[in-house]
Amino acid sequence: MQLAIVTIALFFIVLTQDVKAQAQKLTSGFRTNALKRDSIEVEVEEYVRPDWKTIDVDFLSSYYSQDGNNSAVTGGLGTEQLTDFTQKVSINLPVTPSFTLNVDGGYDYYSSASTDNIDNIKSSDSASDMRTHGNIGVAFQISDTKTLGFFLGGSTEYDYFSLSGGINVGLESKDQNTAVKIALQTFVDKWDVIFPRELRGTAIVPTDKRNAYNGSIAISQIVNKRTQVQIQLEGTYMNGLLSTPFHSVYFKGQENARIERLPDTRLKVPMGLRLNSYLSDKLILRTYYRYYWDSWGMQGHTAQIELPIKLNRFLSIAPYYRFHTQTALDYFKPYKEHILNQQYYTSDYDLSALSSNSFGVAVSYSPAGGLVNVKMPFMKQPLFSIKSIDIKYSHYSRNSGLKANIISVGVGFSF
Amino acid sequence: MQRQKLIVTKVIILVTSCIITSCSSVRGYQKMYLNEPCMVLEGKKLDYFETNFQTYREGASGANGGKVGGGCGCN
Repeated sequence: MQLAIVTIALFFIVLTQDVKAQAQKLTSGFRTNALKRDSIEVEVEEYVRPDWKTIDVDFLSSYYSQDGNNSAVTGGLGTEQLTDFTQKVSINLPVTPSFTLNVDGGYDYYSSASTDNIDNIKSSDSASDMRTHGNIGVAFQISDTKTLGFFLGGSTEYDYFSLSGGINVGLESKDQNTAVKIALQTFVDKWDVIFPRELRGTAIVPTDKRNAYNGSIAISQIVNKRTQVQIQLEGTYMNGLLSTPFHSVYFKGQENARIERLPDTRLKVPMGLRLNSYLSDKLILRTYYRYYWDSWGMQGHTAQIELPIKLNRFLSIAPYYRFHTQTALDYFKPYKEHILNQQYYTSDYDLSALSSNSFGVAVSYSPAGGLVNVKMPFMKQPLFSIKSIDIKYSHYSRNSGLKANIISVGVGFSF
Repeated sequence: MQRQKLIVTKVIILVTSCIITSCSSVRGYQKMYLNEPCMVLEGKKLDYFETNFQTYREGASGANGGKVGGGCGCN
């Protein structure tokens, strides 16, 4: 949070200075024009070809908080209070003009009132946790129209460990108006199974493993000079322990809970459509729609509209609105509405029939020459530049009563 | 449910057909608007965290560049 405040303060200081500089430039420009009214001068800046050796580094941070009253840990009734502080760094390192190395890593530190209830002892170990994650990838530019990439990654948290790997292929038409990207990913995960305190010794799960296999194809098409579209079809097959072992479920007429039980396979098929259009020199339209289907009986629709407004060449502000609706899983029922002879059951409201609204605004500032250039006396080129700052705030509300706020900050450097 | 799927499929086919038939070839030097960072056909870097929490809070997810596996998302 402190980092976010400092970054916001830095952003506004830099912005104020830039506005002053622009105003001074404008004023001096008027004076010069007044003096040289009878002559026309054209200044042509020398074109500087972007250096392929430039290393891009992005620092991203976010602070998220939510509250609601339908925690799955306590059977669909109970606090969902959660705060999460996240940081991530992403490095894009060109090794040769046709070979790039991508490395990213980060952590999520969360404190959760709902997972604290796993143990019934407040401020126990389950009240907070840290998830760390990292990926390393390579990308090859095989020809002007073909790219190939691989990645390996992993993440770990108190009760969960995950390894992942993937491959992606990009193809472009000769005129570069059509592009196809195909990606395959796999995740091999392992639980350190933790049951709610009152069910320890009685609850069992068939496995502690979870695997996911994902394939996607995205086709992008330029429609005209100002508009482009993309269609993305994705399929994810999951197997293993797909329920959460410390989620409780309460049954009609029963006082004792059981742990959540869900089938050991699931197929998810989402399909996304994007359309971006440069409406005018100041206004851009970004739209997104997704249809979702899965083998557990859930269907969903998501629509988003974002309107970036360019205040000047370097500064833009982008308000957005997003609506989401989904049907419930076949196995979902609220607190004490399940009956005992059901094979599968959950009271996790993330899997219930719901609709949600979210809105927010993003501010992006990226001057052509960079915000700050740090130079060494003996070096011709800057040692590094701060090239951009982005800030985004979003508010999220769900019809079940859950409300959340998130603020994200991104700072881009180039070396 | 089947009817809903059919309607969605028809709308997507219709929209896709309209877009494809109205496409015109754009040359490299005419792509100054299309090459702007805010025209990129994927989520922005800053959307990373938000997309992740949406994946956790909503059962219906994917096809947006967000997480598709790894991490339980159980809090």
